[in-house]
Amino acid sequence: MKATEGITLRPCYHCTLPVPPGGRFVASVLGEAREFCCPGCQAVAHAIVAGDLESYYLHRSEASVNPQVLPSPSADEQALFDRPDVQAPFVRHDTPSGDVAGDVAETTLMIEGITCAACGWLIERHLRMLPAVVEARLNLSNHRLHLRWHDQPLPLSEVLSELRGIGYAAHPYQADAATERLALENRRSLRQLGVAGLLWFQAMMATMATWPEFNIDLSPEMHTILRWVAMFLTTPIVFYSCAPFFKGALRDLHARHLTMDVSVSLAIGAAYVAGLWTAVTGVGELYFDAVGMFALFLLSGRYLERRARERTRLATEQLVNLLPASCLRLDADGQTERVLTDQLRVHDHVLVHPGAMLPADGRIIAGRSSIDESLLTGEYLPQPRQVGDAVTAGTANSESVLTVEVLALGADTRLSAVVRLLDRAQSEKPPLAQMADRAAQWFLLISLVLAACVGVVWWQLDAGRAFWIVLAMLVATCPCALSLATPTALTAATGTLHRLGLLLTRGHVLEGLNRIDTVIFDKTGTLTEGRLTLRAVRSLGALSSDDCLSLAAALESRSEHPIARAFGKTPLTAERVVATPGLGLEGEVNGRLLRIGQPGFVCALSGVAVPSMPEEPGQWLLLGDDTQALAWLVLDDRLRDDAAGLVTACKQRGWQTLLLSGDSSPMVSIVATQLQIDDARGSLRPDDKLAILQGLRAEGRTLLVIGDGVNDVPMLAAADISIAMGSATDLAKTSADAVLLSNRLHVLVDAFGLARRTRRIILENLAWAGLYNGLVLPFAALGWVTPLWAAAGMSVSSLVVVLNALRLTRMKPISAESMAARQTVTP
Amino acid sequence: MPALYIMIPVALLIVAVAIYIFFWAVDSGQYDDLDGPAHSILFDDQDPGHKAGVDEASGKETSAVKKDSAT
Repeated sequence: MKATEGITLRPCYHCTLPVPPGGRFVASVLGEAREFCCPGCQAVAHAIVAGDLESYYLHRSEASVNPQVLPSPSADEQALFDRPDVQAPFVRHDTPSGDVAGDVAETTLMIEGITCAACGWLIERHLRMLPAVVEARLNLSNHRLHLRWHDQPLPLSEVLSELRGIGYAAHPYQADAATERLALENRRSLRQLGVAGLLWFQAMMATMATWPEFNIDLSPEMHTILRWVAMFLTTPIVFYSCAPFFKGALRDLHARHLTMDVSVSLAIGAAYVAGLWTAVTGVGELYFDAVGMFALFLLSGRYLERRARERTRLATEQLVNLLPASCLRLDADGQTERVLTDQLRVHDHVLVHPGAMLPADGRIIAGRSSIDESLLTGEYLPQPRQVGDAVTAGTANSESVLTVEVLALGADTRLSAVVRLLDRAQSEKPPLAQMADRAAQWFLLISLVLAACVGVVWWQLDAGRAFWIVLAMLVATCPCALSLATPTALTAATGTLHRLGLLLTRGHVLEGLNRIDTVIFDKTGTLTEGRLTLRAVRSLGALSSDDCLSLAAALESRSEHPIARAFGKTPLTAERVVATPGLGLEGEVNGRLLRIGQPGFVCALSGVAVPSMPEEPGQWLLLGDDTQALAWLVLDDRLRDDAAGLVTACKQRGWQTLLLSGDSSPMVSIVATQLQIDDARGSLRPDDKLAILQGLRAEGRTLLVIGDGVNDVPMLAAADISIAMGSATDLAKTSADAVLLSNRLHVLVDAFGLARRTRRIILENLAWAGLYNGLVLPFAALGWVTPLWAAAGMSVSSLVVVLNALRLTRMKPISAESMAARQTVTP
Repeated sequence: MPALYIMIPVALLIVAVAIYIFFWAVDSGQYDDLDGPAHSILFDDQDPGHKAGVDEASGKETSAVKKDSAT
């Protein structure tokens, strides 16, 4: 008995998935013959080389996405995009006068499959080489492609196929109102920051020129002019750039909260009013440059924070397309017509081809097949379904053609029920209070009370100086460094994680990771690969296991069943292949009649007794010909290589581990034992999972959830922190707090470590900022702090905080696998 | 000192122009993607136009050397 275990497989040059033994998909790239895992990768590489763009492979820093993973719409489904009524919402036509080529269409596409910057280069370059394309610009941070092209010679569907040809999938993109408003806000805050910066430099020069430290022989007229110039330059900073602080302070005072905005507004407002007084009368200190510096530091802190949040949010924001855009409707005469899913009505009959997704809930009225429900339920094997059985929208037909009567559409489907569960779970999500906010609140309260006390004391001693001393205290203690402490650290850490392949979409993840005590894993697609792989071939003696594998692969290559992909490729071809749903395949290879599938079905061909099935878990298939049984083949959903490392890392941190799966097979407990997970439960529906999670929360636990399917979505939304796999459904990605783009679990181990370091750096920053403010307070109270010292102190303390935070960008991956993974990618 | 009577208005004018240009740059979307351009400049080495320019500037020998090292 020989098994295929232990054979080291070379990685595919395009996508780094293992190349099946005896692979014959070879193409010449960069002057060398390279091996590919499948015809898909080979075709993409061919297209890239043919376009003279092969230096893509030199520059990429991440492996490409296997084209089979990307959604592949059929030709007539893509042709739908050329219909004017379908195009109307997302394609704009304008006819520039004097343009000979005529009509120019303009659209934005969302691109799937981008892994690194070289992808952007490849896409732009490839499209620009097409004569009909006027402009192609890809935004790498949100994966949106802006395209202007002549759509008479090149319809939209052909643009999509061009992109498919080089290994990317594209969907039309429509911005919703919230996204557009956010984009406007982003630009406004950038403008406010820029104005503050540009004007502050000038205001600072004008102000500093008036200081006796720099200028001894300043004439009184020039002094007056400089004061007025500084005022003129500072006014827009206060009224334009600082508007968000004043608005925030008003809002927070209404809500009876003491926030950073309140203290910032007080300091900026007081310093500006004092400056006005000085500018007009010429008496007192000029604080205009302090105003500008506040504005610049605080606005940059906020802008950094916004940018970090934004980058991640945009990258995951996609059309939530869980349902196919179109489907085949059968009319009364049995003719099929491709219609948009929106146009379906209840009791319509739809034809669902193997490999296609069901557009609606319904009942099978003809045909027999198996349905892949893994994303909805977590079951890793396709479930057999026949006439009369109910089927669910969003699941995939995997074996043969089905006719389905539509019973529920849109909001009434089971899928939407899950989405509604998500909304409820999200509204109940516990807020994790932010450390810095709490620190700032206390700090503010103390410094405001102190400022008031000092003011009262000075009022008694020297009423004339009281205002200036209180102002100096407010300026000196204004929590500039404090407000930069958290955003800079979070931005640096977020950027580092993004490089490692973990995208944070909500701000509380890094801080919250330090408070987790329980981790919940999903099984299918999270701890396991989420697709069936061939684990072993056990020959029964007549043929070697390699020959058996070739025969099996030849048969399966004719099938759409998800199992078929696990067998890899073979030079043999099978003829007259017939699939019997739920039982197996029959076909002829080199004149030999073969069957593969359920043992009974296979042995019926030769009439021999069924050999005893090996007692190991997994999906066992028998291969046999018309005289004997040839071999057992076992398939299962393989554990990810780094799953064990992740579970160990969680346990080392003292977290309790829990496996919640929708899968009803014994695989759940096997996986749990293998990984030594504390507790495992299978056959759970989405609402069961949510109930368990809420039960744990009621016990006072803080939960981290890692999942990928639609069935995990409510749980992801309700958890304190949730992480979705990069291969997860869109809905899971949008409801999670972080997305593991690289799909490499060991990145999470790095992330846990980084979260800890981030927390330490934030604490250091807060401590430093507090120390500086605490030290300067007595001097300010004594009236020794001049505007010069206030400015210098503020800059130095802010700089220290920023530099400290930048240490987080120098992060080496802890785990050795990630280094290895990187090396396999580099050609 | 009298120079300041000219320099200050000039400085103000320059700031005004700078702000105008900055607003234009923000509105035309130049700050929307801060990742892409940083990388795309690295791929210019493969751009035929860029290569031709480099060849022209430094003679043909360098291009031959470049080709050797690239393959």
